[in-house]
Amino acid sequence: MKELKKFSAVRSFSHIYVEEEVKDHPLTLEILSKFPKAVKIQINHYKEVFCRPKQNFAVQEMSKKLILAAKKGRVIYSGPEVCQDFGNKNFYYTSPALNCIYSCDYCYLKGMYPSANLVIFVNIEDYFKEVENLLKQRPVYLSLSYDTDLLAMERIVPLVSRWIAYVRGKEDLTIEIRTKSANYSALSHLPPAGNVILAWTLSPSEVIERYERKTPPLELRLENIKRAIDDGWKVRLCFDPVLYFENWHLFYDNLITRTFSVVSPEKINDASIGVFRIPRDYLKRMRKTFPFSEIIYYPYVEKDGIYTYPEKIKEEIIGYVHLLLRRYLPPEKIFII
Amino acid sequence: MFFIVTAFHAEAKPIIEYFGLKKVMKPCRFQVFVGESVALVESGLGIVASAAATSFLLTEFEAGAKDAVLNIGICGAKDSSFKKGDIILCHKIINHDTKRTFYPDIIVEHKMKEAVLETFSFPVNKEEYPCSIEGDVVDMEGAGFFETASFFLPPHKIHCLKVVYDHLDSEKVEPALVSELIRGKLPLIEQLMSSISSMNARVSEDLIEKESELLGIVSQNLKLSFTMTQQLKHLVRYYLARHRKLPEALRDFANVKVSSKNEGKVYFERIKEILRR
Ligand code: SF4
Repeated sequence: MKELKKFSAVRSFSHIYVEEEVKDHPLTLEILSKFPKAVKIQINHYKEVFCRPKQNFAVQEMSKKLILAAKKGRVIYSGPEVCQDFGNKNFYYTSPALNCIYSCDYCYLKGMYPSANLVIFVNIEDYFKEVENLLKQRPVYLSLSYDTDLLAMERIVPLVSRWIAYVRGKEDLTIEIRTKSANYSALSHLPPAGNVILAWTLSPSEVIERYERKTPPLELRLENIKRAIDDGWKVRLCFDPVLYFENWHLFYDNLITRTFSVVSPEKINDASIGVFRIPRDYLKRMRKTFPFSEIIYYPYVEKDGIYTYPEKIKEEIIGYVHLLLRRYLPPEKIFII
Repeated sequence: MFFIVTAFHAEAKPIIEYFGLKKVMKPCRFQVFVGESVALVESGLGIVASAAATSFLLTEFEAGAKDAVLNIGICGAKDSSFKKGDIILCHKIINHDTKRTFYPDIIVEHKMKEAVLETFSFPVNKEEYPCSIEGDVVDMEGAGFFETASFFLPPHKIHCLKVVYDHLDSEKVEPALVSELIRGKLPLIEQLMSSISSMNARVSEDLIEKESELLGIVSQNLKLSFTMTQQLKHLVRYYLARHRKLPEALRDFANVKVSSKNEGKVYFERIKEILRR
């Protein structure tokens, strides 16, 4: 057989799998209208495609497919311990989508899911119903974007705008939308909502270039943050995960100096610091699929089923980044994970 | 290695000629033909035969991470949007009897049409068959092949390639015409195979494979335990991820032989230090 030296991967979202049940859902139709050339394939249940045996995450990342589905059963969960609750008692999270359009080397989704394909649950009305029921019992702090980057996908599916419209005026409900995107313009036409926190993850440019593939550069993220703040939105800065690598001190120093040269510290809602951490089983799976990532093969230590940096390094990282942030923010505005 | 499963000799013949395959002269239930990078089996008609032959081929040749498998054959098309001789890369395969569905990952660019394949356990004539046909094209093997191949290989390495022969109107099957239709599509099939190979080479490049001999010697000479050997491999990957090649200092340890496990541990600590740099 003749060897072709090069091959081209099909563009992402070349194929869209649609659950029979949601084929006429307005959000499905809206998404499909944005990909007129995609091959549409009808399925019964998203797991038929998403949970097939032996899928290769690294291969699928070359050409991610889209799966449109309805999430059944519970859709809102109590917040996990490895995540920061920012002092909120009733911390919940939800996953309106599985997977992400970006591809960070350290992303735990690579170890958590059997597939790199992107699932979007279009039955947003069922999510709202469940929040409604929770609100009858207690106030709710809900993180919307843990297992994905929703704002990054806003132009594919306007879930963030729908959520903002839903939470507006609900005093007992606060939502956090975490992102690395530079997609604020998809929201900028909306008036700010006091119970919505836009949380931007920031990393040094060197980290973005090396390990946060397909994400926007730091300067663009900062520009977006500034615009959101100027428009009156609450903004959180997440220095999470902080990574340990050669000259990390210098790069995080530059990052934080640069951040606060663009953004006024007093306008920041709060900030968080967390070092890289990942459940044992996820890391194991990632090591199999991505044999040459220096993040994945770092000799972490395990504690209670979670791999992270050795205690000494962890303390050093947190201490140092905390010190850097303290130059600009009061201690009560800095949360450590 | 590419494995190919066809139902009939008329389908296999042009492939055997194109890739210069030779018949395997071993007594066995199936006819098998092998070349440098392709091995083909003729299954015979039907879902079970195709499943059995697929399993046989992939087991016999110990299919692994670098291999892929294709089912190549003729099919009938439900409507006229597919013409006689069109080649179709199937993106969904339905087993008509069990209603199980299978989905290959289509990752590489190709120049074929795509469609849904439905596999029946009996010949289908559009006029006589009373129920609706879900697939765009119909055959009698694809689902058995795919379900079996999924035990061995990931979904981006399993594909059903079907060439339209008729429009489910019970046209008589002429072996010579079958061969001719398939022969005409072999350049396209070869292009797809070549792209799959290149994709495979990109993701399965594992630098540690080249160093496995060295790591084996070091582990043996330093009397490292299983856990320590695993740790060594992890650290080597960590080092390779950053530097792309191993430090010369590690090669020196291949010449060291220890007389006790404790002595080995001392050397192991030194190796760890080097690899963390
Ligand atoms: S942006 Fe977040 S969810 Fe997306 S790949 Fe990166 S870490 Fe994962």
